[in-house]
Amino acid sequence: MKIQLPFTKSKKRTTVVKETIKKDIGMITPLKNEFIQSIKDATHNPADLMIKNISPNLTLVYIDNLVNDVTLNNHILASLQDKPIDTPETIKASLSIPEINISARFEVVVTAIVNGSVLLHVEGFSEVILASIPKQESRSLTTPENESQVIGAQIGFNENLSTNVSLVRRYIISPDLCNENFVLGNRTNTSVAILYINGIANEQMINTLRQRITDLDIDALIDSAVLAEMIDDNSISPFPQMLLTERPDRFCDGLLNGKLGVLVDGSSMAIICPQSFIEFFQSQEDKNLRWQIATFARLLRFSAILLSVFLTPIYVGALTFHYEVIPLAFLVPLSESRALVPFPPVFEALLLEFIIELLREAGARLPTKIGQTIGIVGGIVIGTAAVQAGITSNILLIFVALSALASFTTPSYMMGNVIRYIRFPIIILAGFWGYYGIMLAFCFILIHLLRQTSLGAPYLSPFYPPRLKGMADSIIRLPLPLTTKRPDITRPTDQEKYNKEPVNPKNS
Amino acid sequence: MKTLSFYIILLFIVSLLAGCVQTNILDKVGLVTLVGYDVGTEEKISTTAVVREVNPEFQSNVQVITTENKTSKGNRMKTNRKLSKKIMVGQMRVILLSEELAKDNIHHYIETNLENATVSNSLYLAVVEGQMAPLLEYKYNNIEDVGQHIYRLLQQNIEQEHMISSTLHEIAHDMYMAGDDIAMPIIKKDEELVGIAGIALFKEDKMVGRLSAEDSFFVKLIRDNFKSGIYETVLQKDNVPSDLLKNKPNEISLAFDAIRSKRDIKLVNPTTPEFDLNLKVKAQILEIVPDVNMDDPKKVAKLEKAISKNLTSDIIRIIDYGKSIESDVFGFGEKYRSSVRGSNLTKEKWHELYKNMKVNVKVDFVIMRNGVFE
Repeated sequence: MKIQLPFTKSKKRTTVVKETIKKDIGMITPLKNEFIQSIKDATHNPADLMIKNISPNLTLVYIDNLVNDVTLNNHILASLQDKPIDTPETIKASLSIPEINISARFEVVVTAIVNGSVLLHVEGFSEVILASIPKQESRSLTTPENESQVIGAQIGFNENLSTNVSLVRRYIISPDLCNENFVLGNRTNTSVAILYINGIANEQMINTLRQRITDLDIDALIDSAVLAEMIDDNSISPFPQMLLTERPDRFCDGLLNGKLGVLVDGSSMAIICPQSFIEFFQSQEDKNLRWQIATFARLLRFSAILLSVFLTPIYVGALTFHYEVIPLAFLVPLSESRALVPFPPVFEALLLEFIIELLREAGARLPTKIGQTIGIVGGIVIGTAAVQAGITSNILLIFVALSALASFTTPSYMMGNVIRYIRFPIIILAGFWGYYGIMLAFCFILIHLLRQTSLGAPYLSPFYPPRLKGMADSIIRLPLPLTTKRPDITRPTDQEKYNKEPVNPKNS
Repeated sequence: MKTLSFYIILLFIVSLLAGCVQTNILDKVGLVTLVGYDVGTEEKISTTAVVREVNPEFQSNVQVITTENKTSKGNRMKTNRKLSKKIMVGQMRVILLSEELAKDNIHHYIETNLENATVSNSLYLAVVEGQMAPLLEYKYNNIEDVGQHIYRLLQQNIEQEHMISSTLHEIAHDMYMAGDDIAMPIIKKDEELVGIAGIALFKEDKMVGRLSAEDSFFVKLIRDNFKSGIYETVLQKDNVPSDLLKNKPNEISLAFDAIRSKRDIKLVNPTTPEFDLNLKVKAQILEIVPDVNMDDPKKVAKLEKAISKNLTSDIIRIIDYGKSIESDVFGFGEKYRSSVRGSNLTKEKWHELYKNMKVNVKVDFVIMRNGVFE
């Protein structure tokens, strides 16, 4: 059951912005005053619109907050000072600016000024020089805050598209690295770039992604997470089907495996697709560690997920219906810690999970300085007091804390959230139907995951459909000589990553 | 859309109905950890249940309640009337049967528990020497929960292979199999302690004889394979090889451990019937009194021979005892049934044949190491 999303092109909407621009389409007037007036009308006369007369027949028009002041002073104003002004062509030749155009179309001129260009109008000519010197407002590159790792590059994407693309280009120095640009959002005109490596990435997948992005008819695009949700195969599912990452190394590793990357201007998270369910639980650090350690870390993470999803429901189910399965050693401590609790186990568990989620949410919203206070209040005050007041049993407190902790081991924050929230319906089912409820939920989740696709590729790859070669680098990581193939999920044009080497090279 | 909403409503109704399943919240039920059956004084069955209850006031306590009624379920209802929480049997670990009851008939007690899905099949059964109530109701100085204590006692001894295993599963297997008879441990109150006193041997569903706890080693040797056991034996003067020591002692005491045994029964003559029982026993010597020089391989071989001979005589003694009481706890009948085509063996038929059975015992004892400490 596919549900049509409201922002695809099937629904025709008329936009007000487009019509206003359309009205002004036409040639540029050679008269100075008329030109200035038309620009003022088109941009609704903003306060930061600057109009400078260099000489009687040369006018500079730009928006102050969009252009780079230093370039303007050093390269435009300085070089125009003593030059004879003849034609737009001679001015263009005399300016030492890389991105410079001449246009006679009014529409192009208006777009250029809001993109950070300086318009140079010479009276008597119906052509305008567009010198693009946009102000690149961006913070400096910092360590990735949400996906930190010990071994590996300590650099993350920032909010600037060109910086991000240059970061990727620095990792993959190859003419095969393709970069396609799109502009999305009728009001925001946000730049979106698709990156892939020609010769590895699957042509059909590129077409699919390109079509999904160009088909979008949206008002605004603020963040890549929104774009990811819109171009997902199933936007209704809680499971994300495309990975959001702020690590350039992970992004490039994806590209080299035949995946496609999407960068959005103004967003520090890049999208990688297609992505399988298992790959959400892999960290880039696994590639940097020895295979035994990496395998251990992956198995640890995977068992943490199972623990996180099923530990509390199992507690609830066992204590509500299936007291037979409790081992003898646990029987007395469990029942004694439960003795003072006035609620049924399902309510007790939901209450405690709710408190943990409250703490997490409060910790995430508060400023860092106060965040520590929340930790103390939550951990010590609420935790200890709740047990002493007899609201919860201390064994459940351990279980809930453990499963919350386990959910944070997921390297992808988006997936970690899903793992945490999916627990609640299972707890309720376990409270109503016991282990049958847990089984029902498990089957439901499994069927749901089986039905998902990521850019048309199976979501549970390489386990369903089973691909033995792919399993070598899934929940385990075998040594490099055994993982020479690119993952099947990307259907790469070139399957082999590198030549097989003997595990133990002969001494030379 | 109409069918979808129909299914949603159906699911909702089902969830409402299924939500009415009776809950057994752990702290709201009294858990029976042990139940003992005895012959009643007035009614037919007397039941003593060890129940663990948890209350906010006194955390956790153990109650021992004895009731009498016509059926075991009737006894459960009577017990329920005496407790503040409904009693459940899902955590039952041990079923005890009194000697008097065991000598009468145990078939009903095994079957009723086997049919109950909440009762674990891995719980232990044992026979109690004497009366049931005094054993369980006595306030032991050092035993807080007599139910758990008896369970751990049995579990520990069975896992260490000191005692034959008697889970409900195995007892039921022996009971329904034509060529097997039941054997289970005997428990006895010993002042402030509870201990294993021996093995009860059954013919069909009646207890007909008993062996001492020491003899359980031989029973297990014939019934099963050992993986690790411990055993002590004494070689009498007649059995001691003449040139083993200079001054021939009256007896040599030996202790072994890490025993590994493999039994092999072969039916050589179906008409008598006649069996070959081959036992391969490997062990290391822990203790030997008086000291024997084990550096000489010849002496070791002689010692091995002497021990084999000693074991053989013990095994023959045990089998003869089993034959005299017509209880085949060793599983010869099972071998007979599986070897003779179309035998249509029943318990009665086998017990007739069993009386005249011949067994050729051959023990091959090997000393692997000596002077090794545990």
